[in-house]
Amino acid sequence: MQLNQHLRRALAGAITIGALLGARAAVADDHVEVSSTWYQEKRAGGRGGLTVISPMFDLGFDLGSHTTVDLGYSADAVTGATATVYSVDAVTQATTFSDFRNEGKLGLTFTGKRSTFGMGALVGTERDYVTLAVSGGGSIDLPGKNTTLALSYTHNRDQVCDKDNAMATILERRALSGLDPCDKSNGVFGKDRPGTTVWHDVAIDTAQASVTQNLSPTMNMQLALWGQIVEGFQSSPYRRVRVGPNEPQENQPETRARVALSVRINRYLPGLKAALHAGARVYDDTWGVTGGAVDMGWSQYFGQNLILDLHGRLSQQTAAAFFKDAFFYETESTAGAYFTGDRELSPVRNILVGAKLAVVSIAEDDKQVWGIFDRLQFGLKGDLLSLDQLPADRVSENQAGTADQFLTGGFLNAFVVQLSLLAQF
Amino acid sequence: MRSIPRLALAGLVAAVIGASGCGRLAVRASEKEYLADPVMVFDQDPQTSAADDHVLTNREGQAGGNGASGGGCGCN
Repeated sequence: MQLNQHLRRALAGAITIGALLGARAAVADDHVEVSSTWYQEKRAGGRGGLTVISPMFDLGFDLGSHTTVDLGYSADAVTGATATVYSVDAVTQATTFSDFRNEGKLGLTFTGKRSTFGMGALVGTERDYVTLAVSGGGSIDLPGKNTTLALSYTHNRDQVCDKDNAMATILERRALSGLDPCDKSNGVFGKDRPGTTVWHDVAIDTAQASVTQNLSPTMNMQLALWGQIVEGFQSSPYRRVRVGPNEPQENQPETRARVALSVRINRYLPGLKAALHAGARVYDDTWGVTGGAVDMGWSQYFGQNLILDLHGRLSQQTAAAFFKDAFFYETESTAGAYFTGDRELSPVRNILVGAKLAVVSIAEDDKQVWGIFDRLQFGLKGDLLSLDQLPADRVSENQAGTADQFLTGGFLNAFVVQLSLLAQF
Repeated sequence: MRSIPRLALAGLVAAVIGASGCGRLAVRASEKEYLADPVMVFDQDPQTSAADDHVLTNREGQAGGNGASGGGCGCN
């Protein structure tokens, strides 16, 4: 897998599986949900964009009066351009790649009068990355059922394939290529097979605590504290960085602790048959990335069956302490042992605007929708994204500039389209 | 990283205030019609939320930890 999207998917997976119990709360009936998401990013360099197609399938059903089972499958098919070397001109050296990831999950939730407790497991595989995750969590409604406290925890035990660089110094490390075998005995869950590649362990521990509070008959809010510790190989095994005359594999620290605090508010407006949504979030981690995000949304009913959701989000972050614009890696070397060409560790501003249209049919007077369902919802969602790359170092001294150090193309550089169908029965 | 303990402490204080502040009778059961509406539920669509997280984790180093789904009417 080019870039280190494999790790990011695992991080996203940790978020997803941690939310498995919450998903049960949000979709309380037996249900089937299918969706497909198309992410398209424009890339500079004339070798095409980045395309990700992600189908998802979820099934949830009761097993007795207190137990529910959730099964899920998702996949990612990724094709596109990637930079081979982070340098002042990464664009002209771009190459193409493709990859496919499968992911399955299973969850069990036990529901009491005022509480839920659940556990889940997730397995994800691709050619060069394996995810194994377990999670547990619960929630409780305080007396009056106006306050819900929730806790969740996820532990990942992942593995990532890398070139065997055991005997190399940091500046001699070679990057993995798509032709390297990433062999294991007995398939992806087996042991590393000695050769030119090696599998590294990555442990990810993720915890979240949240309080959801009804403030009035038309307003609720949620506070969430989220933390994550990642231990192990976190560099992209494929990415090289031009450091002086050398082009070694990038080298990121092996430990990262992350924390985020978020607040969200919903306000229903009965006269308009609409709801206003607002949220804010702050983030900090031990690599020196600090950031914040604000988002706003508006949900509008048109009649009984049509909901239009408009949403927007603005976020900005600082660079990791060891990140430099490519020109300075090339002319000044690194700032210590670590160096990276990871766009997500640079200072960026991300803007998202979008809309979702949902058509909802609800059973009335014992008359089921299509004779089977209690509720049927068809959704079409579209988002436009803009990633604004900011300079990390002294602009006046950067003779090469930063325009070509990443492949990000243009101001409006990505869009997302999602089709979904949710059936509750 | 010095700001993480402060952030965690602020979160804990906010959580305690949130949990204890509005109390048992903030909203009566008979007043929860609007809170029970799907548009008032945080992350009402888990697959959409998962896809959003997926996109953001590939564009930002700060992604993650947006909150939990559920909420609204307290209808467990």
